[in-house]
Amino acid sequence: MIKLPNECFSEIFYNLRADFKSLFSCLFVNRQWCRIVVPILWSEPTEYINNKKLIEMYLLALNPEEQTLLIPFKIILPNHSKLLFEYTSYTKSVGFDLTSGVIKWLNGEGYKINSDDIDERNVDKLISAVRCSLITMFIRTSKKLKYLTIHGNINKIIFKNLYTNTTLLDLSLNFDHFNSEEIKSSWF
Amino acid sequence: MDNGTSNSASENETITLKSCDGIEFHIDARIANRYTLLNNWNGGESACIPNVNGKVLEKVLEWCEHHINDPQLNCGDDDSRRRNTIIEEWDENFLSCDQDMLFEIILAANYLEIKPLLDLGCKTVANMMKSKSPEEIRSAFNIDNDYTPEEEEQFRKENEWAEDY
Repeated sequence: MIKLPNECFSEIFYNLRADFKSLFSCLFVNRQWCRIVVPILWSEPTEYINNKKLIEMYLLALNPEEQTLLIPFKIILPNHSKLLFEYTSYTKSVGFDLTSGVIKWLNGEGYKINSDDIDERNVDKLISAVRCSLITMFIRTSKKLKYLTIHGNINKIIFKNLYTNTTLLDLSLNFDHFNSEEIKSSWF
Repeated sequence: MDNGTSNSASENETITLKSCDGIEFHIDARIANRYTLLNNWNGGESACIPNVNGKVLEKVLEWCEHHINDPQLNCGDDDSRRRNTIIEEWDENFLSCDQDMLFEIILAANYLEIKPLLDLGCKTVANMMKSKSPEEIRSAFNIDNDYTPEEEEQFRKENEWAEDY
């Protein structure tokens, strides 16, 4: 039986990089494959996926400072034993689907964000807080972050950290609405 | 796209390559001009390519000959090179060999730095894994599972999102 070196397996799995189901199977083949597949599987999932289980794994990577952003919203973070990998360190790209993933996670956790009697501005703030904490975490933990798309407001911590990030090649900011008072209050 | 180097040798010029088990191949010099590492072993008598046997070298050279007029991609263009997932019919037939030969071709293409053939081989293996369960992949590639059940369980939870996709 001919054995291929890891560099060839990396090439092979790279061909499946957007085929998450097949990559998921490859993870469980053996430990050698898993170490090659994890960096590929976790490199750009938010380009394709808005899944609450993915967001839950990301929330586990928040440090105390990032968690502080969520205190005013009384968000209860998931509990988990120590993760087997530092998954977020492999993130190359954070995409558009991050926000929809956050909304799905909030919905799944029972936060009322679709109800008519809730003030839309508060809902925006809630979603924005979770998104900002996650983006701050990606900028801190990823060693390979190249592409970052932020949909909605960002805070000053993100800007401060972006300034020191040396791997980023492409930053895309999309604002729904531009409210100077809101920006002032979140920045200063 | 640069065809400059591949055209520098004339069509009738041949060079001699020798496999590690001593089999000689007389090939179009344009092939060796295209893949620098093949050119390094042009010398016939004394030089032979280590690690690649005659059976495998024959297949590799057959592929190179068929693709002699393909446009060459820029070396730095890794993403566009790999983004194309379609495999041509000729290539598909060419690689529908047994798994050991397929792996040998990949190893040789990697060793000889014949990138397009390496990509093709890797794509073919990737296609063999598509939509298969871990058990099916293990039996197709003759691999033993070395996970503990506890580890597998935790790992499954952490990566569950990918299964849902």
